[in-house]
Order: sequence, then structure tokens, then C-alpha cells
Amino acid sequence: MAILECKALSKRFGGIQALDNVDLTVEPGRVVGLLGPNGSGKTTMIKLANGLLTPSSGEILVDGKKPGKDTKAIVSYLPDKEYLPEWMTAKQMMDFFEDFYSDFRREKAMEMLARLGVSADMRIKQMSKGTREKVQLILVMSREARLYLLDEPIGGVDPATRDYILETIIRNYNPEAAVIISTHLIADVEQVLDDVIFINNGRVTLQSSVDDIRGEQGRSVDQYFREVFKC
Amino acid sequence: MEWEFRTDLPIYSQLVGKIKLDIVSGALPPGTRLASVRDMAMEAGVNPNTMQRALQELEREGLVYSQRTAGRFVTEDIRVIEENKRILARDQLDGFLKAMKELGYDREEIIALLKEEK
Amino acid sequence: MLGKLLKHELRATGRIMLPIYGATVILAILANLSIRLLDHEVGNLVRIFAVLIITVFAIAIIAAAIMTLVLMVKRFYSNYLRDEGYLMHTLPVDVHGLVWSKMIVSCIWFAGTFTVIALILALTGLFLTGTSLNEVFTAFPSWKEIIAAMHKEGIGGGDVALFIAEMITGVLLAGLTTCLHFYAAMALGHMFSKDKILLSIVFFVAISIVMNIAVTGYGAARLESFDHPLGSIEELRGLVNFVHGIIAEGLFIEIVRAAVMYAATVIGLKRGLNLA
Repeated sequence: MAILECKALSKRFGGIQALDNVDLTVEPGRVVGLLGPNGSGKTTMIKLANGLLTPSSGEILVDGKKPGKDTKAIVSYLPDKEYLPEWMTAKQMMDFFEDFYSDFRREKAMEMLARLGVSADMRIKQMSKGTREKVQLILVMSREARLYLLDEPIGGVDPATRDYILETIIRNYNPEAAVIISTHLIADVEQVLDDVIFINNGRVTLQSSVDDIRGEQGRSVDQYFREVFKC
Repeated sequence: MEWEFRTDLPIYSQLVGKIKLDIVSGALPPGTRLASVRDMAMEAGVNPNTMQRALQELEREGLVYSQRTAGRFVTEDIRVIEENKRILARDQLDGFLKAMKELGYDREEIIALLKEEK
Repeated sequence: MLGKLLKHELRATGRIMLPIYGATVILAILANLSIRLLDHEVGNLVRIFAVLIITVFAIAIIAAAIMTLVLMVKRFYSNYLRDEGYLMHTLPVDVHGLVWSKMIVSCIWFAGTFTVIALILALTGLFLTGTSLNEVFTAFPSWKEIIAAMHKEGIGGGDVALFIAEMITGVLLAGLTTCLHFYAAMALGHMFSKDKILLSIVFFVAISIVMNIAVTGYGAARLESFDHPLGSIEELRGLVNFVHGIIAEGLFIEIVRAAVMYAATVIGLKRGLNLA
């Protein structure tokens, strides 16, 4: 069964149509790129899947259910915001995740923190922006979730951090789970993706596999994307 | 850390090409046990599904085989390896000959040139 | 899950409230010593210093009370309506747990601050008047006499227990409605994409006005319908029952008020959530 399904999904903010009649499905075991320019509706879609927004019409289903308590237990979400309370330490954050998510694997998080050289007693406040982002990613990827929703994980990070993030995603690949990565930096993620979804002005314009696009177009998804979305 | 990929071909077929080259050149000798799909994917910096697809393609071509529990191995059938090597060599040769013909050389002249080249 | 939310919330707020209590107690001790010092012959500089400490103590008491209220507002705002909301609203808990955990912990600190301030002031009072605790306790027998006198008029222990229960319920409800008034205003104000804080203030005032009109209107209508004017109650028993009735009705109105604001908070957080 599809892990994420949108049926005629629309979301309006006042007069602005952020998502317009979106239909799509994502199957488990796939790494999917949600690709579109800034303001195309990527974040809106991810927020709807997390229950942080309510659809104006249509529906969005996670593992067959509307977003709520049950779906939140199987969705691991990395927002494009820093959400870690500054006063907490890395260890307290792990306690917190362990308390609320039964699929959180502490050993995994500890190992990744150690590899990054972050001490568990370090406060979020003391960490650099880049370290905070990595700690957030570690917490999110240390869950054995069914659906990972990563909103702009590589926006504004240096190349070394980008490699670290992509490597972490591959390392944690699980055939039972789907990963959705939203980004406008396609060249950087293209080779870790199975499928791509093109989104523009709130509409899904294409859902295809990376190698199908490369095979049919004879060029990379990035090049294809640039042509489709050229201003 | 990652392999470089051309933009005009599917990634999986480039993975097939790269691994095939490693096998026929002897970088991966016959009978070598391959790393797990996940590790190979990490090394190449690609999605595990893509690596899986590439390995299945190599399996179909008989260059690697898998044993249910032990993992994947490079074939020990030297004939298959040699045959693939020849196909790759012929591809190179075809390209070379085509380029030389465009330069205006005929077959005899090319052979003469090759003999000069030490 | 409510237990885990409470644990986390107590940890997050305790690290602020406990040091405030500690500082207030230390200032209270220093202030008491300063007051004593002023009774003796001391230099002007010491005198000024002593007065300064007493002033700071007075300010600290007010500050502790204000901080308790501010913390209640700030925790809800920053935890649920700002960036931390991305973490809190994606936990596998329902919105009721989110609201109740904040309310319960805020009420715990309301009670804590009240207790700390009351104790400090009482002890300071005893200390200044030179009253010993013994004297306080020996004052109790006269209370017993009052109760005995009340009993003679037909007001038994049951009534006293009921009055105490009514008082506790009232205080608790007051705590909850104080929280909910702020929560509802913020949750509604943050449904919009712009001017979230301004709109929260507008909602706060609007809720006050609507609630006042509703309660006053209800009170006026009720007053007219009294078939039992106050003047005609002669027996104490009757008066007591009448008062119980009035209190019960007041509590009921408070519960309705709380329920309306609770519903507004839940709707704002669930259907109207719109994190920036």
C-alpha cells in the first residue's frame, strides 16, 4: 500500500492557491525528490503530510490514514527550521525523542553524534548553526520511521555537510520506508533519488523515475528541470 | 568519495559500465566477493535501489552471481569475462575507427600508423 | 503521553521557576536582616544599602508573580506557535494533551508562587512583630469556638467541607481560565499569516469583552428571576443554602467560560495551525 497518497489535494491561504488539485502516490522503499522552485508548494505539501496544516479540499493520507496521532508516530520530519530548544543538551534531546517515539534508536544517534564529534552534554545553544542542523538530522534519521519527510535538507549548507547529509540518507536506507526530499538544488541530490516529482505553482507537473528521465531525455534531471522551469 | 557520472545517461547503466570495467580489467578478480548493496551504494554515492538494479543487470549478463546467504560474487567463468572484455574492446575500436575515418584515413593507413606507434 | 509531556514541561519551566523562588527566599532573608539593621545605630551608607535591599525584595516579590504569568504565556507561544512548534506539533500526541500539559504545569507554578510569597510574607510579618509560632498556634482555639458557635446555628462540618471544596474548585478554575484566556487569544491570532501578535492582542480583548457581556447579561437576567429576595431570608440555614446555590452557579459559569475558551484553543491549534 502507498505510504503517502494525495487525492485532489488543495490548500489556499487567503487568496493564494498554494496547492492546486494534487494527485500523487509514493510507495515504500523509494527515495523521492520533491522538486520545484521556491514558493512552488513543496513546504505546504510536506506540512500537510505532517498535520501542521489542514487541507482546504481533497485529502492527504499517510499509510492510509489522515494525519494525526497515529501517522505522526511513523513519520520522521526534518523541517527547514531550527526547532531544537536552545537550553537542551544533545542528550536531553535524545531522552525527549526516546520518550515520544518508540522507533527511536538511541545507539544509532549516539554513534552518529560521536562520528560527528558532538559531545552528548553539549547544549544546543553552544553549537554552531551547521552542527545544530546536523544534530537535527541525526535525531530524525535515528528513527526507524516508515516515511521520512526532509524539507530542504541541503539548502544553504557547505559541500562537506551536503555530502554528510546524503551519505546519512543512503546509510539509513530501509526498503520498508520511503524518503521524500524537497529541494530546488537538484544536481546535488539527483544520484540518490529513485523518483522525482516536479511541482510548480502548486501543481504537480511530472512524476517519473530519474533513470527514465535520463534515458528518455538523454540528459540529467537537473538539466531537464532547468528547461521546464526556465524563467 | 563519490563516483563521477555523465549527465546524458541513466545512472544505473553507468554503474553497470563502471563495475564491468573493474571486472574485465582485473580490479575485481574472478570469484571476488562484492560488498553489500548498501555499502557499494554509499561508496558510489548513489541510491541503493539504483545500485541494486545495476547489479541485477550484471547478474543477467552473467558477470556476477549471487548466493542466497553468502552475498554476491564476481563470476569465475573466465570465458564470460573474456567475452565481455572483447565487446568492450570492440566498442573502443569502433569509436577509434570512426574517428580516424572522419580524419580521412583508410584502413591501410591506420594500420601503418599503429605500427609506427610504439 | 500526557505524563511525558508534563515531565518535559516541568523540566523546561523548573529550570526558570526554581531559581526565581531561590532568589526570592534569599532576598527575603537579606531584607529581614536589613530591617533589623535599621533598628540599630548604623552609618548612612549601610542605611541606604539596607533600604535598597528591602526595595529590591519588594520588587522581587512582584517580579516573581509577574514572571509566573509571563512564563505561562511564553511557553505556550514559543513552544507551540513558533519554530519549536515544528517539533511539538509533530509528536504522536493529540492536541488535548498539548493544551492540558501546559495548563497543568502553569497552575502548579501559580500555586507554587502563591505559596512561596505567602510564606515569605507571613514569616516576615511574624519576624517583624516578634510573634513566635507558638503564639500563632495558641490563637487557634478561638477558631474552634467560632466553629462551635456556627454548629449551634445548624452549620455543620459538612458545610465547611463543602465551602472548602467550592473554594478550591474556584481557585483551580480561576487558574485554568487565566491560562485559557491567553491560550485561546494566541491560538486564534496565529491562525492568520500576518500580524499574528497584534491579532492575538485583539482576540484577547475581544474574548474579555464577549465574556463580560455574556456573564453580566446572564447575571442581570438571573437577578430579576430571583423569587427569593435576599431580605426575606431570616434563618441562617436558609442563607447558607442560598450561598451554596450562588457559588455552584458561579462555578458552573466559570466551567462554561473555560470550555468555550478551551474549544477555541483546540480549534486554533488543530484546524487553524499556521506556523511561519
